[in-house]
Amino acid sequence: MSTRSLPRSSIDDIIDLYKRDVDVTLIDAALQRTVEERIRALEEFERFREELRDATERRRDAVR
Amino acid sequence: MTRFGELLRVLASGGVDFVVVGGVAAAAHGSPRSTQDLDIVYARQDENLRKIAATLAPYHPYLRGAPPKLPFRLDFETLRAGPNFTLVTDLGWLDLFGEISGAGGYDDLAAHSIAVDVFGIRCKVVALDDLILAKRATGRLRDLETVAELEILRERARRPFQ
Repeated sequence: MSTRSLPRSSIDDIIDLYKRDVDVTLIDAALQRTVEERIRALEEFERFREELRDATERRRDAVR
Repeated sequence: MTRFGELLRVLASGGVDFVVVGGVAAAAHGSPRSTQDLDIVYARQDENLRKIAATLAPYHPYLRGAPPKLPFRLDFETLRAGPNFTLVTDLGWLDLFGEISGAGGYDDLAAHSIAVDVFGIRCKVVALDDLILAKRATGRLRDLETVAELEILRERARRPFQ
């Protein structure tokens, strides 16, 4: 199955618009990693996000 | 936090037939986009349903966002009764799909999938073309953003799996 076989529609025009905003440097950096490193990066980001959220909540509680 | 590697290892060790789809599959292909859950499409054969139930039981699967203490059990009968489950487990968020719009069920996806060796196990990851088809099929704008990224990724990736 290939998306190339789908007839072009207005959806493709929207996708083309979005492509202008894609940061290809992030993609190229990801492609330099192995698959396992890419998945580990997801976990690391999740861990960072949780730590940030907890720290923000602690700060908010301290201010109250 | 979802422990993606550990979830994959547990499912593979339990002999579950599944294909990784969604955000983790996109990341495996090289997308820098983040995700919070592991999405899989699983084989609907009875034997596989029994394996899923037995493999996940030690990790206390429960319906994500549901009130506590509902009489939910992810057992063979429950899996047989419906294809899709949005779960929270001791290892994080896990979504089970019997099929995905635009790309099909386990047999369809497995046929084109890519076998990757990660975290000491081998697992199937949905092909980039199928992932794009599935994202397009949702019709959601945020998924079309992802499609834009995945299509650029497809153009740039010479060797997406190293």
